[in-house]
Amino acid sequence: MSVTLQPKLFRFGERALVLDCACISINFSKLEIQKRIWSLAKICHDSGEFEDIVPGNNNLTLFFKDSKNIAFWSKKLHKLLSNIEVQAETGKLIKIPVKYGGEYGPDLNKVAEYNNLDPQEVISIHTSTQYSVLFLGFQPGFPYLDGLDKRLFTPRLANPRLSIPAGSVGIGGEQTGIYPAQSPGGWQLIGRSAVSLFDSALTGNNSAQPSLLSPGDTVQFIAIESLNEIEEARLEAPR
Amino acid sequence: MIEFIESGLFTTVQDLGRTGFRHLGVSLAGALDRQALILANRLTGNGDNDAGLELTAGNMKIKFHRDAWFTLTGAQYEIRIGDRQIWHGWRSKINAGDILQLRGPLSGMRAYLAIDGGINVPVCLGSRSTLMSAELGGYEGRTLRSGDKLTLGEKRSLSKPIGAVQRGYSNEIRALPGPEMALFTQESRKIFWSSQWQVSNDSNRMGARLSGEALALVEEQSLNSHAVMPGTIQVPPSGQPIALLADGQTTGGYPRIATVIEADLWKLAQTRPGSKVQFIHVSPNQADDANYEWEQYFYRLQRAIDANS
Repeated sequence: MSVTLQPKLFRFGERALVLDCACISINFSKLEIQKRIWSLAKICHDSGEFEDIVPGNNNLTLFFKDSKNIAFWSKKLHKLLSNIEVQAETGKLIKIPVKYGGEYGPDLNKVAEYNNLDPQEVISIHTSTQYSVLFLGFQPGFPYLDGLDKRLFTPRLANPRLSIPAGSVGIGGEQTGIYPAQSPGGWQLIGRSAVSLFDSALTGNNSAQPSLLSPGDTVQFIAIESLNEIEEARLEAPR
Repeated sequence: MIEFIESGLFTTVQDLGRTGFRHLGVSLAGALDRQALILANRLTGNGDNDAGLELTAGNMKIKFHRDAWFTLTGAQYEIRIGDRQIWHGWRSKINAGDILQLRGPLSGMRAYLAIDGGINVPVCLGSRSTLMSAELGGYEGRTLRSGDKLTLGEKRSLSKPIGAVQRGYSNEIRALPGPEMALFTQESRKIFWSSQWQVSNDSNRMGARLSGEALALVEEQSLNSHAVMPGTIQVPPSGQPIALLADGQTTGGYPRIATVIEADLWKLAQTRPGSKVQFIHVSPNQADDANYEWEQYFYRLQRAIDANS
């Protein structure tokens, strides 16, 4: 069966336009769609007509500086998307050292039991994948990662913790990720990283990048042994 | 410089917010009642985006260490310098060494104090506004406490008091249908527009939580995470809507039933917990007209200010 599917385009509030690619997900993988979204986001960014450009999961929201331009861009976006050239790898590979288990990963054993694995296997599966940063949201620098191995899917906690430490690495259902700042959280915590995901002090000038990760980057977790290593990693955090 | 002798319950430094970083998960932040901050700034001779203080409740005492002009707008407060009572919505002079006393709010929810020259905290990601959830911007990324001292920008040359009539509050809040409106049952859509929603006590700068008859989807479904913004009304599985405000997160996965128009978002920010609001369905053209009315208001205000200075 051959179906021609166009992404949906609709207005959101007064000054935003949403491109929803959910209906083309039959033809492309999640990552392939997301790559198109990043490329489109870049073109839109370079035009200078947008206040903010926010990729989501399978979608892109464009916040206009001037709502008068919405009609013009509505026409233009369809054309841009069908002709888009997906750029070759542009993201960076970021290795994030994690101390798994013990007081830093209080749910590691539970995740292992739930999936009929031993804790060491959980660590080895979690560290053997390269995850793609699909988009950032929820908190400054919080990455939505693609690629968690099915063998590690684990339901969220029945009762979320009221406060979990910054750097906590967790699994929530089919997702894995790192909490950049202390916050409430319902994910199963398997470890902790000392890498700073977001540093607003690094923003004295416009070119500085406050977020360690950007959409399109690749993340690999590395198991480390001690708190000292965590502290050293903090000092050597790539940026 | 100004010094907080009593800081109030929830006082933060805010400007018009932080744009350009939402793709990194950084919320817009800024004044919840943007128009009130702009009004205070204009009357005080500041730029629209100069930082002022957002006051939520409680008594405040602020000692001024330089002569200054100030204006309080938004929620009504009792304003005093010593025995002298100051009018709300009027710029007034205070001398170095004097203490400004504020009690309230008498009505409304959030007041804005502009001081000539603006509050001079460091610019963080292009803005001086406080984003507490990420502990960034403002004064050390937090609410103010007794003993805190804030520096001010360069003095403006102003000569006499001047005031303005603020636009009237109503609890009718205009909104556009949201992208997922069609996912709700017909009955729920009707309830959304026709009922009075109570603003709950758990409301904060991230969002106004609303309570009323629960809204239901035609069928349960999970959505892809998508961008949200101040004004977005999302409905979690409880069926009780949440209207996002300035500190609301940048992305979410709940269905978006409606969006409060920019011209009326201030009304939501000024509604006290326990009070009720009703949403009025409008078209994008009506939203544009509402924005135009605000532009006209500020245009007339500026002409009056220019004629009096």
